[in-house]
Amino acid sequence: MRQLPEKQHALPRICIISSGQEKNKEGTHLSSLFESIPDDANCMVQIREKHLGGLALYNLACLARKKRGTKKVLLLLNERADIAFVSGLDGVHLPEKACSPAALKEGGLEMLFGCSVHSLQSAIEAERSGADYLLFGPVFDTPSKRRYGPPQGIEKLKQVCRLTHLPVFALGGITMETAPFCREMGAYGCAALSLFLDSALLAGTLEQLNLIWQK
Amino acid sequence: MAKVIPMPPFLCVITDEEMNPVSLAAEALRGGAPMIQLRHKSADGRALFDWALEIRKRCTEHGALFIVNDRLDIAMASGADGVHLGQEDIPLRAARKAVGNTMLIGISATSIEEAQKAQDEGADYIGLGHIFPTISKEKHHPPLGLEALEKAASLISIPILAIGGITMENAPALISAGAAGIAVISAVSRAQSPLQAAKELSRVINLNR
Repeated sequence: MRQLPEKQHALPRICIISSGQEKNKEGTHLSSLFESIPDDANCMVQIREKHLGGLALYNLACLARKKRGTKKVLLLLNERADIAFVSGLDGVHLPEKACSPAALKEGGLEMLFGCSVHSLQSAIEAERSGADYLLFGPVFDTPSKRRYGPPQGIEKLKQVCRLTHLPVFALGGITMETAPFCREMGAYGCAALSLFLDSALLAGTLEQLNLIWQK
Repeated sequence: MAKVIPMPPFLCVITDEEMNPVSLAAEALRGGAPMIQLRHKSADGRALFDWALEIRKRCTEHGALFIVNDRLDIAMASGADGVHLGQEDIPLRAARKAVGNTMLIGISATSIEEAQKAQDEGADYIGLGHIFPTISKEKHHPPLGLEALEKAASLISIPILAIGGITMENAPALISAGAAGIAVISAVSRAQSPLQAAKELSRVINLNR
């Protein structure tokens, strides 16, 4: 049995989402990400490479586990609970329209379950169906999410944080300037992709974000 | 509980990406198909799971096997009898380690070598193809033909399901060549009556027994 973090309060405050640009099983981007994550960093990494098939994702997941080494980083895979399970990752991150955590657990896939939610209703549903944490967004304006309409805003983030008992990670337009507002609204932590793309700045970025949540 | 592959020769109906998989499966089952494979590459996980539950229920009612293509997670969550994996899906060994013998694992092979390897690694059955030219899926290889099927059947002891370009007319030859069964998409899904097509295919493959 894999070691689950001692319920939700052991979860890190920061979730790094992978670049979505892996070309193949060599995992060039993930490898360099893991090289830039400091040994003592407290964060989780969500592998989100939706264009890759099962075998490529499996290879990438195994590679990520190897690259993680003894770092405390939690590893999750987007959507594919089966691949997360067979490759020994810590959990799966489910899109809003994925199979529910409850159904996957019922089928024997026990692991950490994160759920993307874009409304209060789906936040409540995800909590009811056994999610361990929620990812809510886009909170702020972000170029990659513009096609889905205007950002949700921090008031909505606040409502989600109040209405559920789960840790809520804010996503979308997270920067050093916006992160403190998320914390103020009750977000447990934050998730981002582009914020972490510059490997030279990664260690500093992680440290500063962690400080925001320690204050 | 170990699952059992139907007595040969048998028909496996694979759902068609272009239509509702539940109603297609229901018709195929009423036409006597003893094995249904849910295959949908572009659906959301939740839709796939909902379909899987519906087909699971109907397969149980008909005493038929229910297999999910590619998505082992959906197979496990819906209580399917098995999962069917392609060469670009989760590796067989990894899948087997996760499910043990509680689930059947079928492997798609496009050559005798791939089929042999799948058998060595513990596959329960092989989907070998495409045997004939087909329009259902885009193909990168020429069709294998009946001779390759015959050769594979003589070398491999686990059941081989012939797939690709199967019609009422050519189906019996596949069984004569040693296939344990046939797997079809369009021969059933695109027929005027999928129910009648399933019935008729089951009949013609049993003529030469």
